[in-house]
Amino acid sequence: MTRLAGIILFLLWLPTAWGKTPVFEVEIRDHLFHPEEIHIPANTKVKLVVYNRDATPEEFESYELNREKVIMGGRKANIFIGPLEPGTYPFFGEFNPKTAQGRVVVE
Amino acid sequence: MSNRNLIAKLLVLYGLAGLAVPAFGDGSVIDKIYHPYVEQLEWELEWRMTHENENPQTGVDRPQTHKLGLGHGIGEYLFAEAYLIGQRSADDSLNLYAYEVEALWQLSEQGEYVVDYGLLFELEKEHDEDIWEYATTLLLEKEFGRYSTTANIGLIYEWGDDIDNEWETSLALQGRYRMSPRLEPAVELYMGEDTLGLGPVLMGMERIGALQALRWEAGVIFGADSDTADYTLRAALEYEF
Repeated sequence: MTRLAGIILFLLWLPTAWGKTPVFEVEIRDHLFHPEEIHIPANTKVKLVVYNRDATPEEFESYELNREKVIMGGRKANIFIGPLEPGTYPFFGEFNPKTAQGRVVVE
Repeated sequence: MSNRNLIAKLLVLYGLAGLAVPAFGDGSVIDKIYHPYVEQLEWELEWRMTHENENPQTGVDRPQTHKLGLGHGIGEYLFAEAYLIGQRSADDSLNLYAYEVEALWQLSEQGEYVVDYGLLFELEKEHDEDIWEYATTLLLEKEFGRYSTTANIGLIYEWGDDIDNEWETSLALQGRYRMSPRLEPAVELYMGEDTLGLGPVLMGMERIGALQALRWEAGVIFGADSDTADYTLRAALEYEF
């Protein structure tokens, strides 16, 4: 068991991807996501850089994307998603779920 | 995240240290699988329970362990929690057994690397005896579409006037299918000096209001050797707010 742990940890040291991860930017303003719809390529890991321009915290949440991330007011957060199959993956802001809604369209 | 390479090297050293420590932890290690993620600002009130049909080591009939914890996401990558731990059995009523504090340190963004990883630090003191336990557990998680696999690899040190000082290790694995927020089936494996068990677990989450949710877990772990209880029921209920 401990040898297996050592092997797993060694693998952690290795670089995860040799190519560059595409970056997409999203803003939270007035408790809304801008843009609401983000188009990303299929079967590719991407980095969402989410800027919270509001003074209050917001949480990027999506069960479909398996992500939950709180972004404090005036801060930014990096959220890695994918590789994903083509489709639409909704997300919302847990602090303002009625207004802060969006979707990732994988194509 | 900053200092990523340094952290990765420390983790490798941690793994190499594990290679030199072949022992497993004594007592049942069946409890809960931790995930290497922190939710900043979140408060969590938690109850956990395990119930064995019998402890094969001591012969105690139907022992139970209850944990009541209060935790908080105190930073983007740090979650802290404190517990009161009680025990009861068929012959004894519930009594305070130990206190515990823990800190979970998220070391990578979810999905950033091949495996997500974090560290869990736990310190426990038994109430009536001079027995201390400190554990550092490496938390690993890998997502495969709607499936997630998680490993908890623990390195434990016990000391005090009422126990032989010793190093121990533990391993817990979970395979989970993210079927829906309300219901996720999983299989869990636990290994320790006196534990080898495997069994099914169900879990889910129910939103009960703005920024409030109940998470639950329930399962049965079947003993796979003579040192492990024939079955261990485990349950957990978390109120997040």
